[in-house]
Amino acid sequence: MAQKPKIRELLDESACAHSQNKKSACNAPTPGATTGGCAFEGAQISLFPYADAAHLVHGPMTCVGASWETRLTHTSWPGRDLTQMGFTTGISTNDVVFGGEEKLRQAIDYIVENYSPEAVFVYSTCVTAMIGDDIDAVCRQAEEAHGIPMVPVHAPGFVGSKNLGSRLAGEAVLTHLIGTREPETTTPFDINLIGDYNVTGDMWQYTPLLEVLGIRVLSTLSGDGRISQICTAHRAKLNVLVCAKSLISLPRKMQERYGMPFISVSFYGQRDTSASILAIAEALGDAGLIERTKQLIRREEAKLDEQLAPYREIFHGKKAVLNTGGNKSWSIASALQDLGFEVVATSVKKSTEADKQKAKEYLGVKGILMTNPGQEQARVIDETGAHLLLAGGRSLFTAIKKRIAFADVNQEKKKSYGGYGGLLNLAEDLKNALQNPVFRNVARRAPWEK
Amino acid sequence: MGKVMRKPTKPLQVNPFRLTQPMGAALAFLGVDRCMPLMHGGMGCTSFTKVFLTRHFCEPIAIQTTAVTDVTAVLDGGDASIVEAVINITKKVTPSLIGLHSTGLTETKGDDLRGVATQVDFPLVYVHSTDYEGGLESGWGKTTKALIEQLVEPTSKTRTDKVVLLPHVSLTPIEVEKIKEFISLFGFEVHALPDLSTSLDGHLGEKQSALSSGGISVEAIKGLADAALVISVGTSMQPSAESLLNKNPTMRHLHLNHVQGLAATDDLVTALLDASSREEPPASIVRWRKRLQDAMLDSHFSLGQTRILLVGEPDFLAGASQLLSEAGGKVTLALATTDSPQLDRIPADKVMVGDLEDAEALQANYDLIVGNCHTEALAHRFGKGLILRGYPSWEVVGNQLNDDLLYEGGAYFLCEVANAAEHMRTAER
Repeated sequence: MAQKPKIRELLDESACAHSQNKKSACNAPTPGATTGGCAFEGAQISLFPYADAAHLVHGPMTCVGASWETRLTHTSWPGRDLTQMGFTTGISTNDVVFGGEEKLRQAIDYIVENYSPEAVFVYSTCVTAMIGDDIDAVCRQAEEAHGIPMVPVHAPGFVGSKNLGSRLAGEAVLTHLIGTREPETTTPFDINLIGDYNVTGDMWQYTPLLEVLGIRVLSTLSGDGRISQICTAHRAKLNVLVCAKSLISLPRKMQERYGMPFISVSFYGQRDTSASILAIAEALGDAGLIERTKQLIRREEAKLDEQLAPYREIFHGKKAVLNTGGNKSWSIASALQDLGFEVVATSVKKSTEADKQKAKEYLGVKGILMTNPGQEQARVIDETGAHLLLAGGRSLFTAIKKRIAFADVNQEKKKSYGGYGGLLNLAEDLKNALQNPVFRNVARRAPWEK
Repeated sequence: MGKVMRKPTKPLQVNPFRLTQPMGAALAFLGVDRCMPLMHGGMGCTSFTKVFLTRHFCEPIAIQTTAVTDVTAVLDGGDASIVEAVINITKKVTPSLIGLHSTGLTETKGDDLRGVATQVDFPLVYVHSTDYEGGLESGWGKTTKALIEQLVEPTSKTRTDKVVLLPHVSLTPIEVEKIKEFISLFGFEVHALPDLSTSLDGHLGEKQSALSSGGISVEAIKGLADAALVISVGTSMQPSAESLLNKNPTMRHLHLNHVQGLAATDDLVTALLDASSREEPPASIVRWRKRLQDAMLDSHFSLGQTRILLVGEPDFLAGASQLLSEAGGKVTLALATTDSPQLDRIPADKVMVGDLEDAEALQANYDLIVGNCHTEALAHRFGKGLILRGYPSWEVVGNQLNDDLLYEGGAYFLCEVANAAEHMRTAER
């Protein structure tokens, strides 16, 4: 029996902010009143960005059939980008009755023969977990046969939320990859980036700056990641957790196992980007590096201020209402303030205590924290005279009714809003939203309406 | 007709495009007014479906989940989670109907939906829709059949001016509307089941509802049996038509494999002339037939030198291949999601059930692709022309407005394909 991750233990993650005032970090979902993805989706989000590995989903078609090619996680891997491919055993009734292990074995052989991946991740799903297919044994045998890592990922959807799935993915990487290889060289400034998936190239907004400072990204989980590098992650000097509570178990365990410290950062907005780069330098603890970092931040901020000046003129005096969840409730607020908006309200409906605290800090005493944004936002727009509503698609009608501009914050984004460079993209998009007359035009009364 | 390969020979699917029965079931329930589709499975099944459809239609999608967990998967036969889900849904909203449909997870454990349905004190239709059999098309078809069997009230009365239309899943909301209008021009009152033409047609509503906003009403479904004629479009809808006939033995049934191209549209017109006792169709239809004839001639030169890959559900392939080949388009490969009797009727050199890796291996055989957004990478990789059709299409807006049917839509489609083929050849030079 291979070491299966202990779900209870992952749920009770001591370093998670959720855990301090709840019995269990992630409660069971309520039938008929649940939104959000499953553990498999979380695992997929966390591991699929390894473009040099094949991701084989052992289950029925819905699991990957509806979800491959959905995330714009960019890679510089020169081989075929396996992230943007879907591999599934697509099990049939026959497999459910007689077991799917043989099919899985053949599928792995097929992938290795035709696509020569650096590793194969094998994901169990609800149905194959329930019929009891032993993916550990199949992976072990395939690893011996093919001589590349075969990583079983035990995150069938029904064990819990996306968040738990990410933790289970981290667990799989820790068990099967990290520490299995030594890096060719090491430097005093080697870090691992954990939890940035390089969606729309977010990571590339700040990794060139780290490079200029002499900070080497030894490995990532998993944006623009490589299997050969994550295997050496245990030799880094610091784990940098990027905007991801979901993977917190991994750096905590690496701290226990390898004595590696970790810090939590966010690269959203100007202030957070600067603070994060400095935090990395400070955690690495070299006086020269810290000084160089401060200089770089001054230089980059001056450059950005110059580029943002025309936007800040447009945004000056403009008020924004933000209706989104989790850490976005303050991280986007922070970015909006960097652009010169006054953020008059934000939603804290699903936020942790820490998130609420941060939102309060960013918005100040006058800021409104909406606990039921669906009902409150229309009134808040009236009372504050807001010019822009940033929310999910469902709130579009509120903006039209109030004849103010709208930006969909949950929409699958096409370009990066991360780091200094991303802030310019965000500024451009929000300028376009504010100047677009469509929200007023579409609200025109029909000629036959009284 | 060319060779038909029905069984995949590989142990896996690479770059799959087969979609699943629960998704088809959910979509069908979204064609019923103020319905709440309730997927019985893990919350991920529902979440993936919701995101998938939201991106395809650019509209909020109403759907809920019974949120089966590892614990309830073992201990619960569905009784607890389904009943609790209905209670929780109806606390917040009052749907006209709950559309209960199962997934691979709950079919593996063998939940008795029918038994549970008797414990629920709320209008509910159930359908078994595992994801390891069939596909989007059969999930939609089975759900239509379930809606008829469980809701339609039997009668022996007949209204001669009433027609029921049963459209297959690949028809867009606007296409359903176009067929309804076409039939109503012959003097009939037309009811489509399911009816996406008034729910997912992309209209700005008064309010974003938590339920499906439009579609055929439950009352209208109950009263469908007094129609004089039922028209099923697509092989997947034939069993539904048969179920409806059981509700009223005097009802007549017209089955059409598809309504694309000159010949198939002529067949529909012939039947409607007969049913309405008219000599000639309305003037607009006569005019559109002439326009289609002209479009066939205008596009034939380009289409005649274009080798086409068609990707999609069997009922879609049957129609599109017919329309294209009428104007000389060479469908060299038709790639189907699942097996169907339709595959034997597709005028293509090769017809197969497969995945997009198969399409890649055969890329030397075609110049232009008609398929969903997963074929886009394939088109770019090998410099093929591309027309986006079918589920999913995430990268463009206006999917629900595409119309390729009957004389009118056929004319537009042929021109679009011919222009894309020319554009592609110009780019190559």
